[in-house]
Amino acid sequence: MKENILIIGGGAAGMEAATQLQKLGLNPIIVEKSEALGGHIAQWDRLFPAFHPAKDVVDQMLEQVKDVKTYLNTEVTDIQKDNNGFHAVLSNNETIDAKAVILATGFDIFKAERKQEYGYGIYNNVMTSVELEKFFRTGKDARINNPKKIGFVHCVGARDVKVCNTYCSKVCCTTALKQACEIKEVFPEAEVYTFYMDLRMFGPGYEDLYLKTQKDFDVKCVRGRVCEVSEDMDGRLVIKAEDTLFGKPLKMTLDVLVLMCSMEKNKSIDAIQQKLGVANNSDGFMQNKDMYLGMNDTKQDGVFVAGACTAPKSLPDTVGEARSVAVEVFNYINNK
Amino acid sequence: MNQYIFHPFVLPFVLGMAFVLTYCVVGLFRVICLLPKDDRKQFWRSLVTPKTAWANIRDLFGDCLFHVKIWKRNPILGYMHSAIAFGWFMIIVIGHVMLFTLKPLEGVEVEGFARTFTNFYYPIFYKHFATETPVFAFLMDFFLLMIISGILIAVVKKIYSKIVGVKRVTKFGFADNMVRFALWTIFPFRLIAEKSNIMAFWWLYSIDLMIFMCLLPFTRYMHIPTEALFILLRHAGLKPREPRKGYALAQIYSCPSCGLCIDACPMSVNDKMSGNTSAYFMKKLRNADDKEAKRIAETCMQCGKCVAVCPLSIESCDIKMTQREATPYIINSDHSYLEDRHFDRPQGAEKSPSVLYFAGCMTQLTPKIMRAMKQIMEAAGENYEFMDKDGGICCGRPMLLSGKTAEAQAMIAKNTEIIKQSRAKKLVLSCPICYKVFKEENHLEGIEIQHHTQYIDELIKNGKLKVNKGEVNYVYHDPCELGRAFGVYDEPREVIENVGNLKKAKSEKELSICCGGSLGSFNLTQQERDEITENSVNDLMFNNPEQIVTACPLCLKTFARKSPVAVKDIAEVVVENI
Repeated sequence: MKENILIIGGGAAGMEAATQLQKLGLNPIIVEKSEALGGHIAQWDRLFPAFHPAKDVVDQMLEQVKDVKTYLNTEVTDIQKDNNGFHAVLSNNETIDAKAVILATGFDIFKAERKQEYGYGIYNNVMTSVELEKFFRTGKDARINNPKKIGFVHCVGARDVKVCNTYCSKVCCTTALKQACEIKEVFPEAEVYTFYMDLRMFGPGYEDLYLKTQKDFDVKCVRGRVCEVSEDMDGRLVIKAEDTLFGKPLKMTLDVLVLMCSMEKNKSIDAIQQKLGVANNSDGFMQNKDMYLGMNDTKQDGVFVAGACTAPKSLPDTVGEARSVAVEVFNYINNK
Repeated sequence: MNQYIFHPFVLPFVLGMAFVLTYCVVGLFRVICLLPKDDRKQFWRSLVTPKTAWANIRDLFGDCLFHVKIWKRNPILGYMHSAIAFGWFMIIVIGHVMLFTLKPLEGVEVEGFARTFTNFYYPIFYKHFATETPVFAFLMDFFLLMIISGILIAVVKKIYSKIVGVKRVTKFGFADNMVRFALWTIFPFRLIAEKSNIMAFWWLYSIDLMIFMCLLPFTRYMHIPTEALFILLRHAGLKPREPRKGYALAQIYSCPSCGLCIDACPMSVNDKMSGNTSAYFMKKLRNADDKEAKRIAETCMQCGKCVAVCPLSIESCDIKMTQREATPYIINSDHSYLEDRHFDRPQGAEKSPSVLYFAGCMTQLTPKIMRAMKQIMEAAGENYEFMDKDGGICCGRPMLLSGKTAEAQAMIAKNTEIIKQSRAKKLVLSCPICYKVFKEENHLEGIEIQHHTQYIDELIKNGKLKVNKGEVNYVYHDPCELGRAFGVYDEPREVIENVGNLKKAKSEKELSICCGGSLGSFNLTQQERDEITENSVNDLMFNNPEQIVTACPLCLKTFARKSPVAVKDIAEVVVENI
């Protein structure tokens, strides 16, 4: 009989881990709290750096897990461990016995209201990167009304001690440039600005995207943070920022301001995580055994982690980790 | 017939007394001479002004003799201190009264210098030389036992301070410990000597007195002679100008290192940070440890709680500011932009606004407060104008806190000019930091300056603003610069009671704990600030409120990071209930 492996979270990490575990002859079971598999990536329109449709990737992943036992709209409410393995109770009152658990619970989007100075939830025309992506997908957003001037603010809720997040959220830099190009595609006449501290173009093709953004799309990248946003009589946004390359403060009126919200640890898993005895790092993300060779292990025997639950990660990072966790779990089961 | 009533054991006492008296007289001259000329004049004048003279008499008795403020703060400590200090004072007074009633030893006549010299120590050691009447014997024994009861409490406090309600006590060096030990033993020795007349105890008693008096100027016990002078200088209305000169010197020596400020200080969330409290700051100044004094002066958040709880009202925050002013920090500031600034009268506005609203830098970063204020003024039908809608000039507080008075004054002058140009009758501020500066530094005679808590309270009371009472349980946090600095405690509470239920925090009003976000500190790390914030939030959550309400944009932002419940400005809460 195939051994059960409980995967909590049906996003990119959970789906990919399930696919690989199935190929390795184990029986993965996915428990997903939302109504569909796919996680955050399913909300995305296109992926950086090559503007590849996210739907393609998600559809391929969904195709591969179609035979995997999946619970939707379901959460793990309790979990115990004994000599026979893990015993999980689900919110639909079913129980699952499994030999190992993979935490693939991913991240939450930083709540932009917490940076009150950027005016999200106060001024109409301030939106988040997630909402802009939805606009690209559906073509609908009341705030986007043939804008003439659009600004992007990087690092909203990241590298910011004032909101207790000192870490870099890794993907927002490249996402901002991708979205800047895309909005320029939709509104070629619009002026587009991005306000950054550093541009961290860490992956293959990312630096090329940065050059393309400036050369082909004429997006203006300003090194400096936006410090405050207000609204003028016509409801347009007045931002104050500093151009640190010129060493000058600047003031600008915009039609839309997009906040590149960071990733934060998904806290809905905290109770189960505590029962499993998996600790958090100082940045709030889950702690793995070590960041080099034990990235999928935790200090608890039989409990594994994959994807953005341990740190902000891009899609390729996450897929890579999901594959490696499958191998780790396979070895763990065979060595028992 | 010249003859002394004398025994060699009085000599240590005489030596000690002579030393301490000389030291105090020299010290008194030094303090007065080091006062700036104007201050000195003001001081002499205050001594003969009936109002200050009365305040002097009241506080000399109330503070130096009866220790009213310690009683109020902590009755056990009040008794402890009064028993020792008041008891000792009474023994000295009664001793001297007895000089006139006692008959010296049979057949001994004392006159002239001998009489004066004898009087110097006679009341201290009289029991060896004479017997007193039963009434005096009772009084002397009564006060002596009272002192010893006080010392017993002090010993208990030393062993386990929590029993008298004190968490952290001041840590002392060798001299202080030595003098304390001497003080504790003086009176038991005296009691034994008096009751047994054993020579050894008279000697021990006298030597103890000598140790106490010879070391006194170098320890915290210097507060005993200095406090009286400090009270006089304080009532003269002086302000410390230099960290270790003149008036500040009197304050430094008046600090008894009692440590009440240690438990009060928001920084005392751990042992390491409790070393930044005012008791240690004054100690470092007394010991001329300028490096440490400078460090503490720069770490202080200037919340003013140490001054609020100080039984002597020592102005440690002001002295820290003089320390900052004495440090030439390098700040490159360019104020040339000030020239072009003026009041922008909005187009179409015929009348001058009756209310001018200044949001300030911090409120610009919390636009919800600005929006709420706008809605409130609209709802009340006020004729208002925003002074810094398109960018204002800083009130100057950060520069003042960096000791850069001249730079700050440039901005203060410009703001004053703009406010006057507007011809508004009233200036309303949302930020207590600005409020403090506009109240204290800007000369805005004829213009009423209100914090928005006061303004909203007034609008509700005069019926201009109608609010509904909601069901939410709020707790109110007193911002340091509104509460302790200006005593604005009631208006915000009345406003909140009009719109919901007000729960009490554990520490309220003048005991409210700084949020930890203060502009005052130069060098607290974010981690240290977080610890302070968490402690302050826990204190506010004491009665499980549903929302925390503040009246300062900086407190708001600071609490929002750590609070388990929503944090709102009082204006937002009011708008929700219009």
